[in-house]
Amino acid sequence: MREKADKREAEEPEVERDIVLDPRIQDAIGRSLKAHYDDLIKAPVPDRFLVLLAELEAKERKNGQ
Amino acid sequence: MASDEFREGLIAELSNLRAFAVSLCGSVQQADDLVQDTMLKAWGNSEKFQPGTSLRAWLFTILRNTYYSLYRKRGREVQDSDGTYAQRLTVSGEQESALDLADFRIALAKLSEEHREVLIMVGASGLSYEEAAEICGVAVGTIKSRVNRARVKLADLLGISSVDDIGPERSTSAVIHQSPADMART
Repeated sequence: MREKADKREAEEPEVERDIVLDPRIQDAIGRSLKAHYDDLIKAPVPDRFLVLLAELEAKERKNGQ
Repeated sequence: MASDEFREGLIAELSNLRAFAVSLCGSVQQADDLVQDTMLKAWGNSEKFQPGTSLRAWLFTILRNTYYSLYRKRGREVQDSDGTYAQRLTVSGEQESALDLADFRIALAKLSEEHREVLIMVGASGLSYEEAAEICGVAVGTIKSRVNRARVKLADLLGISSVDDIGPERSTSAVIHQSPADMART
């Protein structure tokens, strides 16, 4: 049901007709979103990504010469 | 050939790519595969990146397109609607928000992808409405409308129907309502 409604309205923003949350609730959600995201950001980046980049670079150097 | 600057930029954006990927996939393992695919594509197309524009927005576009073309179906099979990643990645006990992070993540995982991605892009990753609109290929007004609807839906999933449901308010406007017990909690 929701999908249907979203598709129909996808290209016609009707911001003013939407329900607007109390700014304090918006703020609480906003802070939680940041807490969620910041927590993920803080997780150490796995070595596999840096290894991959080193491999890509090595390959490029080899091909470049 | 990818420049050193591009390489440095890519490394600097890895944690953001990962955070966006985990938020989309709901699974850390899948998110890491998605980040790896994104890196390969970005590296192979580095000459298409225009210096001076947002590398984050450019990388998010690649990641998102990759997710929708390759991962979405796979994800559905293994996705856990209870947001297992909440337990797997959480390291910090400290919390800035009034809402419980684990509860919040379960609710976030239940949102539609369309709603989840806009909230993450605009509400957490630091992208502008304009950048999010470009990434999603829709009008800015559509993004604004989606963000609003996503918030309403999220509040509903969290069982928030009034300000009383969000616990002690930390902003100055509500300080007068704060009891010493509440103060101690913050």
